[in-house]
Amino acid sequence: MSETRTRLVELLRNCVQCGLCLPHCATYLASGNEVLSPRGRLILLNEVLAGSEQAPESYLAAFDQCIGCRACESVCPSGVSYDLLAHGQHLAARRRDTAAGQRPVPAVPEPVLRRLDSVDFLRLVGGAGATARSLCRTTLGDGWRRRLAGGPKPVAQLSRLLGSLPTSPQRDADLVKLIDRLLAGAGTGTAPAARAAARAAEPIADRRPLQFFAGCANAGLLAGSSRRLVAVLTAAGFEVQFPADQDCCGALAAHTGRPGRAADLQRRNRGAFALADTAGAVPIVVEAAGCTLELQSYGREFAERVVDAVTLLAEAVRPALRPVPLKVALHDPCHARHGLGVVTAPRQLLSAIPGLTWCEATEQEVCCGSGGAWGLRYPEMSADLARRKAADLAATGADLVVTANPGCLGQIADGLALEAPGVPILPLTDLWWYAARLDKK
Amino acid sequence: MSGRPATGNKSGINGAAAALVDGLRAVLGPSGLMTDPAAALVYAHDASHLELGRPLAVALPATVAELRRVMSLCAAMRVPVVTRGSGTGLSGGAVPADGSVVLGTGRLQALGTVDRRRGRIQAAAGVLNERVSTVTRAAGFHFAPDPSSQSAATIGGNIATNAGGPHCLRHGVTLHHLGRLSWIDSQGVQHDTGHGTAGERGLDLRSLLCGSEGTLGVIVGAELELVPNPRALVTLLAFFPELDDATGAVVELLGEGLLPVAVEMVDQGMLRAVEEAFAFGFPTDVAVAMIVEFAGSEDAVDEDGRRAGALLDAAGAREVRRAEDAAERSALWLCRKKAFGAVGRLAPSYVTMDVVVPLGHLPGLVREIQVIKRRHGVEIATAFHAGDGNLHPGIHYDDRDPDASRRAHAAADEIIGAALARGGSSTGEHGVGIEKLHALPWQLDAVTARLHRDIKRACDPADLLNPGKAVPGAEARYADLKPVPPELTFQWDSLSVTAPAGCRLSAIQDAAMAHGLWLPLGVPGRGREPGLAHDPTVAELLDHLAVGPSLLGTGTPRDYLLESWAETGGGEVFHSGVPVFKNVAGYALHHMLCGSGGVFVRHLAATFQLRPRPEQVLLLRLSPGAGEPAVPDAFWQWLAARRGRLAAPQVIAAADGSLLLLVAGRDRPWDLGGVAGELTELLGPPAWRVKLLAAVPFATAATLLSSGELPAWSLGASDWTALAPLAGADFLPAAPLPTGFIRQGRPDRLWVPQQVPAAAGWQADPVISAGLVSGLPAPAPGVPRELLGRLKQIFDPHRQLPTPSWLAEVVSDE
Repeated sequence: MSETRTRLVELLRNCVQCGLCLPHCATYLASGNEVLSPRGRLILLNEVLAGSEQAPESYLAAFDQCIGCRACESVCPSGVSYDLLAHGQHLAARRRDTAAGQRPVPAVPEPVLRRLDSVDFLRLVGGAGATARSLCRTTLGDGWRRRLAGGPKPVAQLSRLLGSLPTSPQRDADLVKLIDRLLAGAGTGTAPAARAAARAAEPIADRRPLQFFAGCANAGLLAGSSRRLVAVLTAAGFEVQFPADQDCCGALAAHTGRPGRAADLQRRNRGAFALADTAGAVPIVVEAAGCTLELQSYGREFAERVVDAVTLLAEAVRPALRPVPLKVALHDPCHARHGLGVVTAPRQLLSAIPGLTWCEATEQEVCCGSGGAWGLRYPEMSADLARRKAADLAATGADLVVTANPGCLGQIADGLALEAPGVPILPLTDLWWYAARLDKK
Repeated sequence: MSGRPATGNKSGINGAAAALVDGLRAVLGPSGLMTDPAAALVYAHDASHLELGRPLAVALPATVAELRRVMSLCAAMRVPVVTRGSGTGLSGGAVPADGSVVLGTGRLQALGTVDRRRGRIQAAAGVLNERVSTVTRAAGFHFAPDPSSQSAATIGGNIATNAGGPHCLRHGVTLHHLGRLSWIDSQGVQHDTGHGTAGERGLDLRSLLCGSEGTLGVIVGAELELVPNPRALVTLLAFFPELDDATGAVVELLGEGLLPVAVEMVDQGMLRAVEEAFAFGFPTDVAVAMIVEFAGSEDAVDEDGRRAGALLDAAGAREVRRAEDAAERSALWLCRKKAFGAVGRLAPSYVTMDVVVPLGHLPGLVREIQVIKRRHGVEIATAFHAGDGNLHPGIHYDDRDPDASRRAHAAADEIIGAALARGGSSTGEHGVGIEKLHALPWQLDAVTARLHRDIKRACDPADLLNPGKAVPGAEARYADLKPVPPELTFQWDSLSVTAPAGCRLSAIQDAAMAHGLWLPLGVPGRGREPGLAHDPTVAELLDHLAVGPSLLGTGTPRDYLLESWAETGGGEVFHSGVPVFKNVAGYALHHMLCGSGGVFVRHLAATFQLRPRPEQVLLLRLSPGAGEPAVPDAFWQWLAARRGRLAAPQVIAAADGSLLLLVAGRDRPWDLGGVAGELTELLGPPAWRVKLLAAVPFATAATLLSSGELPAWSLGASDWTALAPLAGADFLPAAPLPTGFIRQGRPDRLWVPQQVPAAAGWQADPVISAGLVSGLPAPAPGVPRELLGRLKQIFDPHRQLPTPSWLAEVVSDE
């Protein structure tokens, strides 16, 4: 028995098969099928580890459909490690081509999937997407997504791709307009007066250096939000640096079965973020929770410098905030909540904004079904999960949803367009930017 | 995880099976039917670590109509069906044998809206237990049964196993929270169990199905009775250096008349496991950590918490911590809630038991478990629902060592033996399944066991529903009949009373009241005519649930019934139940037969649970001002919010338009002192005047019957009709009620002293007619009368007992 196998067998003995993971697993909730639950997958893995034969295709299909959200690990009373399911995914990825018969047709061809970690490619996609969306809006109105969803299958599929492409206001003025409109709609009417009442932040003398990790999806699709995050960080007293030659974190490559490319990217990023002198470790701030988690796997020394933007802001100097009397629902990206254990920081930020009430959805810990490339490889289940998540968030009665990961942003936006049109979703840092009145600077 | 190696699908797929699979796929589509090796392996397991074989197929119907089709296709092909919720059961109830079809209910997710008037909600079988409480929170309710698996367990599974949980001490188990059940029989035909109103007379199929582990029918939906959320909670955590002191303290605590919502304990083995796993900082040098939780109004729980704290201190606790807010409370609960997961870290395998004994025997059983543990050289860590006398000893062993496995299972059987010797049961919560099938004959007499098999055959003649589970075979050696008790006896330590059929309620209450307890079925006078003053016999209560209205009664005999003795029409005597309220060993024949009108059996004796009695009762008169119209809804809402107290308030509407209100509670400012003031504020002069007529100690509440304050018709009348609200009913029927009536809070109904027809949205039962109990009414539409006929045939084959005409029509003559 190999060393890995012995270790996994030992880890698996912690599982008491209680099944308490079931209602937290997105693929189980979407399917009602225990094969697609954490316990089901572990029962299959147990057999795979005990046997010498190759795992049947139906086992691999079950492993492959795991989104990797780690919600099961968070709730497991026995502390069963996610490493087990990761091993299952690894087995499935190795035989992805042979087990193709068990899988649905992906929403985009595999070669396109593999290019999603290129900023240039994403910029192109983002630009095309924006044009297509505005075309749809002009011809079909604001309810274009709903109308197209009811159309012939290829049209519906295309509109799903378009609807779930992550986006946020490119121009600051558009963001301000969007939130102002929500405030007016919320009928509180306090926004303009409150704006006048808020006081300016004091100038900061000692700025702390900070390296900014751009991330391909953020840089390619959500450039406006990234720019505003930098402004927010600057206002919080950081001197934001942009190491050249940085690249994708490698998460996508790792999850699409290309360990070679993942290693390459890691090498490149290590070089880009290397420190010139030993005058103290400069933190690396990361916008997307998914990237944060991947960067933390680069080894201890690197991991210790990596910090998630929301956590950093929660701990940083608070700017003067204007009231934003809206009801806001928060969606925790799984990478943040389950992967990094970031739960209180975003709530601290929301609590700090005067007049804002925030609420928890009932399925707060459940994955939205984006999962990076997963959503494109399992388009039907992903679409079901988008709607389920959006309905759950909308049921709180929120005026606005916020999150902290590009994949979740697009996925939930698409779900909301179908389940609760009129309820927008924004990056949490965009809302923070607005509350900090940085449009006035 | 300690699974056994796969055996593969031994049965193979022959022609007939292939045809069934094709048929099922046509109904369910590809995502609703699975036959691949992954599905067969996964669904061969549940939380019990027991295995029988590999299913032929897994069917996941998305609608009840699909489920019916699945059942009828399987019935036509004679393929066994194993119903499954989330597979969180611990007795192997949901694991399939080779070649059977697993019928998953997880996709049946419909959940209705709260019926605030009746405190009920309609839920499909696949709805998760915790979701019910989450969804009803905003309306101020929750679903009381809370098994540790509640986040994942389904309502259908809860009903099939009559699930319990830590908070059942005050509110009871699943059976106590069910209205109407909707179910599918072994042929795929859908039925109801009745109107589902509390206090409904008839053979209670709901009690039969609840806890039957999928062997009699498939539950597809239920009306659930919700419990109002308490205004406040106080939680105590006490550490005891001595095990005996802790168990003794539990007995004392409940004997004091305190009624916590939960009394939980973990022993040292469990505490250490929790600490090793999570390092919460709980002491591990004590024998027991105990949690006591009170729910109610702020002042009441504060006082209860103080009294209980002092009592625990005096009983030998080293330290008593008290939580005031939600955060502190959940910190105290951690050591109990994390116990289940922590055991996974103790050893590769374990047997989780769930024996239960009458409370008074808890200390003795716990001592004997220590002896058994040493004798077999096994490690045992125990979590207790101590207030219920329910224990979860977890015996830990390494399944790679055959001798350790043997010793663990031998110790488990001895623990069951020790519980049975103390009048307890082998299973309080988890069910028989396949795990305890061998032990069931140790606690059932041969006649009861035969009735089990006959009932199974009547419901499922081809033995297709979860075969080989829950019901032992004819060949087993059964226990002797538990002797029929000849006289009234009280088990004060265990808070129960055993009474022969001829015993009158007054005899029970007189003795119980003196001990600070009562059987909450009313305070009788000595009258012989049905009415508030009537003194019913135990037989009358068992046969008819209620013979007219009662003074301050709360609930029905079924709510407090623990065990009963009866004889069949043919004169065979049998016994069902055990003197504890958490018991899921075998079918609940005693609950099913309670209220069956003397048509199926002659009741001989019964044991009931006693409850702390209220301390005081107030009688108030509410008089309307001139020209004042009907009683405002706000008043009825005020009453509804007080359901489920020690005694539900009761209203007597007099012919002159005034109302008499009886409210029982503690003689303390927060509980009763404020009532008159609250009502004055609510109804307000000049519209209504509120006057306190009397305040008497509860133990002498019967004196109100002769005080002259109550109208004569309420004390005794020759006709009584019970009106029970159905879904969507208002506080009172739309059609005006004649003269006077009595409104009881629990069961929720109106007693009218004459024959009245059913009003829209109300069920009418003319319980008393010309001074006598009227014949058992025909069951509600949707109840399978043919099944009732078959059950009549089983219990009274030669029709020596009364047979209503509607039943005679469906009993086959042999």
